[in-house]
Amino acid sequence: MHQMPVDAMEEEAEATPKAAAGLELGFWLAARRRLAADDPFFAAGDLERELLAKHVALNLLEDDWNQLEKMEVASTCHVSNCCSTLFCPIAGCGAHLDCLEDFEDHYVTRHTASCSVCSRIYPTSRLLSIHVSEAHDSYFQAKVARGFPMYECLVEGCGVKLKSYKSRQQHLIDKHQFPKSFEFFKKARPSQHQRHKSQRRQTAHRGEETRDSSMDVDGKGTRQTNLRYRPKQHDHKESKENEHQHKEAKENEMEVQQKIDELTSAVSKLTTADSTPANVTFGHRRSRGLTFVPRSIRQNKQAASQPEAK
Amino acid sequence: MADGSASGSPSSASPHQHHRDAIKSSVHNSASSRRREHAIAVGKERREALMRAKRVCRAPLSGSDETAMEEGDMVIDEEKADLEARTAQAVEELKSALSTQYISTIETSFCANLVLGILFDSLNIIELKSAFINHSMCPLLKFPCSGGKGAQKKKIEVLRALRRLLSQSEVPPVEAAIKAGAIPLLVQYLSFGSSDEQLLEAAWCLTNIAAGEPEETKSLVPALPLLIAHLGEKSSTLVAEQCAWAIGNVAGEGADLRSKLLAQGALWPLARLMLSNKGSTARTAAWALSNLIKGPDPKAANELIGIDGVLNAIIRNLEKADEELATEVAWVVVYLSALSEKATSLIVRSSVPQLLIGRLLASENLQLLIPVLRSLGNLVAADGYMVDSVLIVGNSITDQALSSLIKCLKSENRVLKKEASWAMSNIAAGSFEHKKLIFASEAMPSLMHLLTTAQFDIRREAAYTLGNLCVVPAGNAEPPNIIVDHLVAIVNGGALPGFINLVRSADIESARLGLQFLELVMRGYPNGQGPQLVEREDGIEAMERFQFHENELMRNLANGLVDKYFGEDYGLE
Repeated sequence: MHQMPVDAMEEEAEATPKAAAGLELGFWLAARRRLAADDPFFAAGDLERELLAKHVALNLLEDDWNQLEKMEVASTCHVSNCCSTLFCPIAGCGAHLDCLEDFEDHYVTRHTASCSVCSRIYPTSRLLSIHVSEAHDSYFQAKVARGFPMYECLVEGCGVKLKSYKSRQQHLIDKHQFPKSFEFFKKARPSQHQRHKSQRRQTAHRGEETRDSSMDVDGKGTRQTNLRYRPKQHDHKESKENEHQHKEAKENEMEVQQKIDELTSAVSKLTTADSTPANVTFGHRRSRGLTFVPRSIRQNKQAASQPEAK
Repeated sequence: MADGSASGSPSSASPHQHHRDAIKSSVHNSASSRRREHAIAVGKERREALMRAKRVCRAPLSGSDETAMEEGDMVIDEEKADLEARTAQAVEELKSALSTQYISTIETSFCANLVLGILFDSLNIIELKSAFINHSMCPLLKFPCSGGKGAQKKKIEVLRALRRLLSQSEVPPVEAAIKAGAIPLLVQYLSFGSSDEQLLEAAWCLTNIAAGEPEETKSLVPALPLLIAHLGEKSSTLVAEQCAWAIGNVAGEGADLRSKLLAQGALWPLARLMLSNKGSTARTAAWALSNLIKGPDPKAANELIGIDGVLNAIIRNLEKADEELATEVAWVVVYLSALSEKATSLIVRSSVPQLLIGRLLASENLQLLIPVLRSLGNLVAADGYMVDSVLIVGNSITDQALSSLIKCLKSENRVLKKEASWAMSNIAAGSFEHKKLIFASEAMPSLMHLLTTAQFDIRREAAYTLGNLCVVPAGNAEPPNIIVDHLVAIVNGGALPGFINLVRSADIESARLGLQFLELVMRGYPNGQGPQLVEREDGIEAMERFQFHENELMRNLANGLVDKYFGEDYGLE
């Protein structure tokens, strides 16, 4: 669609195009939108015109009509390639799509892989397998404990492997310009029971935690991995994970100790949010393995991860 | 093969009986499957023909003498080969009828008497004959060659035969006609001084040839100068109308042919025809004009509005004409307003907007509603004068405009809903008064409904409208001011899922729109409840989609919002 926002204050708009451009992205711009005569927006109307003028009651098959509608809808989508069919916008995918419904199907089937153990969802099967080895594989943990570099870089084709979660994190930020808020392994929100337990523990530990401590001896930074808006996990899976955590502790004290401490400290910040519906619609309420972390936390993590940087 | 064996196999022996039955059924199958394939092919061609901006002329023009005489029915399911053969033959007859003309002319016409003297002297009969045949524009022949009345009649007969083949078949045998060489012959039949009937039939044939595939339309190029010439004021109205139709078909093909027609001067005569008192002529001319000026080059539109009397004719027709004529005139307005700044500024200052709104309110005819609505949409979008000075809040025209748009929003038709939402979004981008007016009107429930339930493209327009109602632009360097009442009502009315759905869409524009609205909600919803509301509708998850998105701007936008509103303070009581 060709968009030509026409401001009321046209002279000023010309003078500060850059400022306006920056604003346009972030803020709602209420302006008139003009469309060219041959804009695909008008395709449906043009078609109606021709059909009505020929006075034909069209016996198009249901399929034909659907095809037509799909084409029109697809053509109104402005894709960065500016062609009339859609391409999947997920980086590295480039799949060819006909219309919005196709995109939804495609996204669900290709870009959401879910872990059978903990139900987290990943956008690619590669990421899923990385997650499974890192979070649910004792063999993996064993290798890590013996000092093998096991944490793969998440970017396909990079191939670098690092020895710890944090150093991999750092690699992503340094080499691949991942946002600093990026966090591959998001801790799940524990059950209510867990929360109560940790809250009791929390009041005892409160004094020890400070936001700004960066050089924890055993690496348990107060990394507040942002759990607050993570959907809750099933109880049994959660405890399974905790068990797993305990197993890991025997194999790799440093790593696992960190994880447990992360959990306990982070849990203290949890709120009792409303229960989430258990539905299966596209994109609703699934736990995701990738998410954002706010800046303040990132700063801490960065400082904390420095001693462990490779 | 199957046929051969069927006829060759012996009869009555029972084991062979089965054999023969099997063969017969395979014959039957192949014939019926052929018929079915033919039907499918015809169906497909027919569908494509329906979608073209060209129109086949099937019946004599109104007012034509033939209306009483002609009763040709549509011939359906013509075997293609048969049709093509007849067409080729018809073209052959065209050819021979042409050469007969000259012979009979020489024998009996007035101008021939002048020549006879020379003939007897020079005995160069053959040369002269060929000279006559080659120079169809020979000044001598400008005399009406009414002599050879027999020849005249013959010419019209053969033309009529071809014309019938081209107008009564379901899929006219255009390709066959062109291959047989019809076009150059028809050009000759269009020569100056030909009888009206002849011109009419020839132009009719050309009209239907031009209504075919792109290549077929392009083959009309040699005929264009003559067709344009016969639009002239001295031509009979019927002839002019038929030529206009042919030109309309050519113009409907593509931008190249349009510029060629314009270069050859088609615009003025067509505009003059549109001013005609005869309804069908004006209608055909208006339709041809709409095809001619539709651009993308705005030159034609600019020229058209400059012609004296055109705007007045438009006004007159929008006001009084029947719906068919008003429809075509409205399409002219559509293209004038979409392409020409000059036209737009003249139109918004005339009575056209009021007339368009009146038509939009009064008519139920979809054919008329579509161009009228689009014209209004174009006018509102293109020229601020419409929203600032014509549709002033408080004037009755504004209330009528709003009612007419609401009528379209509520209609069943997808095109009306979409284009009305677009028009309304542009009005909602106007002054604070406009926003209040729309907010208080019956448009709101319709818009909310469209946002959640309609097809994607309509949802987007509804989203634009609702969002526009919530903001008043601030200075250039500042985020827009939020109209909290409107925002609260819209969010409480259940609009958030609709916007979040847009964030999830594959289209970048729409996703950006959704994110921008979420920004408004999170910033402007009172008591800081915005983020919670967004979270409750899975807004965060939708924003996270942009984590791996290829578009950096979208990534930053989404990241920024999540960082800002779902920071570590989020959720703390």
